[in-house]
Amino acid sequence: MTQAGKSGIDPILVTVIQRRLKAITEEMGLVMLRTARSPILSEARDFVTGLYDADGNMMEQTAYIPILAFAVPESIKHIVAYFKGRLYPGDVIIHNDPFTGGNQAADVKIVRPIFFGERLVGFAAINGHQADVGGAVAGAYNPGATEIWQEALRITPVKLHEKGEKRQDVWDLIFGNIRFPIVQEDIQAAMGGCAVGDRELVKLIARHGWHRFDAHLQHLYDATEQQMRAEIRDIPDGVYHGLSTAHYDGFTPGSTMDIRVKVTVKGDGINFDFTGSAPQTPGYVNAPPASTISAITLTLLMCLKDPGIPQNAGVMRPLTFNLPEGSIVNPRFPAASTFGNHLSDQISAAIFDALAPALPQRVTAAWNPLFAIAAVGFNSRTRQPFVDILFNGLKGGGGGTAGADGYDHIGLIACGGGLLAQDPEMFEMKDPLYLRRFEFKTDSAGPGQWRGGLGVEMEMEFLGDGNMVSAFGDGIDPGSEAQGILGGGRGMLNRGELRYPDGKVHECRSKEVVANIPKGTIWRQVAGGGGGYGNPRRRPAEQVAREVRYGYVSAAAAREHYGVVLDARTGQLDPTATQTLRGESP
Amino acid sequence: MGYRIGIDVGGTFTDFLMIDDAGKSSVFKTSSTPKDPSIGVLAGMREMADSLGVDLERFAGQVDLIVHGTTVTTNAVLTGNGVKTGLVTTDGFRDILEMRRGYREELYNNKLTPPPPLVPRDRRLAVKERIDAAGNVVLALDRPSLDAAVDALIAEQVEAIAICFMHSHANPAHEQMAKAVVQERLPDAYLTVSSDLLPQARLYERLSTAALNSYVGPILKRYLESLRANLARIGFKGVLLIMQSNGGVATPQSTAATAVMTLLSGPAGGPVAGLVFSGVQGYDQCITVDMGGTSFDASVVQRGVPLLRSEGWIARQRLALPMLDIHTIGAGGGSIGWIDDGGLLRMGPQSAGAQPGPACYGRGGQLPTCTDANLVLGYLEPDYFLGGRMKLDRDAARRAIATYVAGPLGLSVEQAAAGMFHVVNVNMAAGLREITVSRGIDPREYPLVVAGGAGPIHGAMIALELELPVIIVPRESSIFCASGMLRSDFKHSYVRTYHALGGEADVRIMAGHFAELERQGRQVLHDEKVTAHDRVRVEYAADMRYLGQHNEITCGFDIIRLEQEGIDYLRSVLHEEHERLYGYSLRDAGTEMELVNLRVTVVGITDKPAMNFMARVDDDVASCQKSRRRVYLPTVREFGEVPVYDGERLCHGHQGSGPAIIEQITTTTFVSPEFDFVVDRAGSYCLYLREIGHTYLRRVLQ
Repeated sequence: MTQAGKSGIDPILVTVIQRRLKAITEEMGLVMLRTARSPILSEARDFVTGLYDADGNMMEQTAYIPILAFAVPESIKHIVAYFKGRLYPGDVIIHNDPFTGGNQAADVKIVRPIFFGERLVGFAAINGHQADVGGAVAGAYNPGATEIWQEALRITPVKLHEKGEKRQDVWDLIFGNIRFPIVQEDIQAAMGGCAVGDRELVKLIARHGWHRFDAHLQHLYDATEQQMRAEIRDIPDGVYHGLSTAHYDGFTPGSTMDIRVKVTVKGDGINFDFTGSAPQTPGYVNAPPASTISAITLTLLMCLKDPGIPQNAGVMRPLTFNLPEGSIVNPRFPAASTFGNHLSDQISAAIFDALAPALPQRVTAAWNPLFAIAAVGFNSRTRQPFVDILFNGLKGGGGGTAGADGYDHIGLIACGGGLLAQDPEMFEMKDPLYLRRFEFKTDSAGPGQWRGGLGVEMEMEFLGDGNMVSAFGDGIDPGSEAQGILGGGRGMLNRGELRYPDGKVHECRSKEVVANIPKGTIWRQVAGGGGGYGNPRRRPAEQVAREVRYGYVSAAAAREHYGVVLDARTGQLDPTATQTLRGESP
Repeated sequence: MGYRIGIDVGGTFTDFLMIDDAGKSSVFKTSSTPKDPSIGVLAGMREMADSLGVDLERFAGQVDLIVHGTTVTTNAVLTGNGVKTGLVTTDGFRDILEMRRGYREELYNNKLTPPPPLVPRDRRLAVKERIDAAGNVVLALDRPSLDAAVDALIAEQVEAIAICFMHSHANPAHEQMAKAVVQERLPDAYLTVSSDLLPQARLYERLSTAALNSYVGPILKRYLESLRANLARIGFKGVLLIMQSNGGVATPQSTAATAVMTLLSGPAGGPVAGLVFSGVQGYDQCITVDMGGTSFDASVVQRGVPLLRSEGWIARQRLALPMLDIHTIGAGGGSIGWIDDGGLLRMGPQSAGAQPGPACYGRGGQLPTCTDANLVLGYLEPDYFLGGRMKLDRDAARRAIATYVAGPLGLSVEQAAAGMFHVVNVNMAAGLREITVSRGIDPREYPLVVAGGAGPIHGAMIALELELPVIIVPRESSIFCASGMLRSDFKHSYVRTYHALGGEADVRIMAGHFAELERQGRQVLHDEKVTAHDRVRVEYAADMRYLGQHNEITCGFDIIRLEQEGIDYLRSVLHEEHERLYGYSLRDAGTEMELVNLRVTVVGITDKPAMNFMARVDDDVASCQKSRRRVYLPTVREFGEVPVYDGERLCHGHQGSGPAIIEQITTTTFVSPEFDFVVDRAGSYCLYLREIGHTYLRRVLQ
């Protein structure tokens, strides 16, 4: 019995090959998790593994946070073109340059060509956020940067190994320009992961033979493309406009940058056109095309019926982009761009805004935009400097959607809920920081038939002297909060303030560095909630009353936004007053 | 004659293993009775009595020991039907339980909402008090705010309460004060105090574990009371033991306060059973796979010890007590096959479960499942499922596969079923690979012990996928867990946070903590009547990490060497363990290490039932062949006639070659053409790749 259907393709084998490719990229990920040293890689899992074919098409990938999911293909395509005819077994290529397909300078790609016999059959690649990549400040986040050279060492594709031989001169040049020795080890971890990808892909091809493997791989792309096209066919044809606004370029207080998107759906194809978006900014608030495309793709995946669609080149085929050169979503050389991944907050909000009339059941209101600080100081217990990114304080709410409230305390959309807040006790045990309060914030969620996710409020005290706070993000300036959708209301603004022991209060801007913070200073931060979905007056009154009793919604907000009245004495719903206020007949 | 009975209450069936004094074992199966599982248990007791031809009371009086794996607490959590629970916690931190550290399990699924919290916010009461990370009182406990919290819980009429304050692991004084007040004013409430249950740093883990304990505590208590009363009523006077999540057993009395330790009670017998059956052949390591109708559980035994972990999730709630590292992959025989919009076949994650079940069960299930495919492929015999007690409807299976898989793919029903079988095997193999590779284990060095009603059909194909040379199918495969239960020891685990840099750790203080934890454990064992000195084993471990890391590693060590060599010994233990797990250590970098928790496990060794080894036979296996059947042969992709052996008649020494089927009442084993098989002295069917036959047969037949 053979299972070959039309054209010699066995549909079962297509599924089996897909699952095996997935398993290989997962195993590459496990190697990274086991061997990488930096907590950005081993704890926050800020990396993506993938297999690509000889033309640079993605066969399969494993990403632990969504913003990295489709951030690598541009880089691979550039490498394919750049090294055409000059790739050999045993080569290893390194790349980070945003102007030749990279997404963010700190995200360093390690790419290994794979040969089956004499034939180049593909690439194994790992893109990981490295602890340092040179440039003016450690870690590449430099709010004062106006050019890429102030952010990072610019690495265009270059071979670290050729034909199995390490190129010591290249290695020394690169790592001679990077601060922390740990980065060398983490690059080696990525090389180890790619070697596993190479070995396993060769085994998989040997099992089926090259031609049979390749025919079924092409069929896999086609099938995934068909699935994606079927999803797009579900979106009514039309031209849809969306807008979201990023605030503060880091140089001019009060500056705003519009992100405008025109989404054109025609049959089973979809185009994203960002014409009319703000010009590139003088600082690092710019998204390289790879970051922009990744933000678009993760947003679209969140609108699908089946978010478990195989992640290969077929997903991208029905998608086309128009990213005007010189704009905030495709800056000209040599712009700074490290903030670019975080523009995914506004890019996703603009796309949801555009698709709302077409896909009212699938879009999500805007998510709380990221506002983060890194707290830096000296730990007298360990006698070492410390850096803590306050994941706990930065995780606001997700956007509401038909049938589901926004996810509480989920954090930025780019991470999709894959980035966890620190445990309060472990947080205090690690560094000299004392939490005074860490709770859901009343009225932080955008009201709606399905409300936004709740944001949080945290207050912490610096127990040591000589601290510094480095802030980056958005959502601080009025108008920058998560917007509601289809009649839903906006979430609460982010806020960050320092209360000094002498009583002075400093309100933080969204991009700012504050130094010399003395012992006893309180950092208070609010991460706002997500935007609401649909008219809040259609939310069941009993549910609103319950959330008033919980303290998630204040009685005043229940009355104002939801038209729900509670008996002040019993705390129970007052159905008559509610019906009157909502204008419903009893 | 005296009997020991292992009882494993599953989602669909309750399995019984009865072993008599001579080591002779027999297997019974009844339908589970989820409303009151003790009904199914009593039905099984009656069946066992009938099989012996004695009346129930007489039989019950001869039962010396019952070891019971229960799912009542698991089900309460899975269905959200725990008791009304209140929480008393530190002001400023009352949402930690509901926040779940902001974790969403599916990155792209914006329709996924967090699970309802075990305790809603209006029953999470904040008390003004605060202790810092070092255990110093920063804010003394404010009695009026505590009284107000208890007033609110009384008004809410809660049935159970959890108390959990910030850093109670470092100083339990405030929790103890609150405990005294709650016990005085709410004496009937089931109370969990976090520092009593789990004095370990990590607020979310400790709080969630305490809340889970209270949420299921009264349910377990009621169930065990009813079970004991029912057993007493029929004349049972022996010892009743409850299987714990850590792979040990405990008396109902010592389980009452730690109900949360039974959340993995059901599958917890598996790893020990795996060790028993692979140990017969001299292995001290194995991978176990237990595939039932609704679940596929896998675990690893290494160097004679089932792998444990100290935290995990149940129904998306955090649980942090030492438990067996059992992974649930896919959904077992109930996994549903479907075609996505791109025309590709997928299996699961949706499952038909026990209700409505696979189409072939004839209980209203319309969707094609893995079990339906196995029936169409000939692996299952429609008239011999459960020894003929349940008829399988082959036409219904064919219809479901034709409609939902074969039709859309343009394949025949057989081709589609073969595809479903293949995809399930690849999925399960990928899951097993992840478990082993993430722990730095090369699975090819491990025999695969395959159990569960559905497991042995898939074992050979999973093994081929992973290049595993040996598969062991225990004869009592379907009551695998129950057989592990009867061979489990008493086991109690204790933890205490001791947070110190390596250079500042004080071995004398640590020794004091270890002694105190050990004393607690020995007391419980004493209460469980384990008194003989040589029956008690104590294991010591420390959770350590390199400075700067976020997650610590639990490392077992030798207490005598710690006392003799000091902290440098623990440093070397961490280096070795880190190297083993992650492929590198920081031995040469001079990086300081940090201690986080100290752990003690006391083990009370139980009498194990004798293994009833078979005499070796020399006759031809052909005498055990009962028929021939047409089954699908995956590697050659066609159907073929293969011999069907009667598993009950196969004896130690019988050898045969694949392709073949070994059929028992509750289990079917598929021997694919690459494998030969031999029966070992425990009666297990052992499949091995033909090329290793020479060495492997020596191991089994010695």
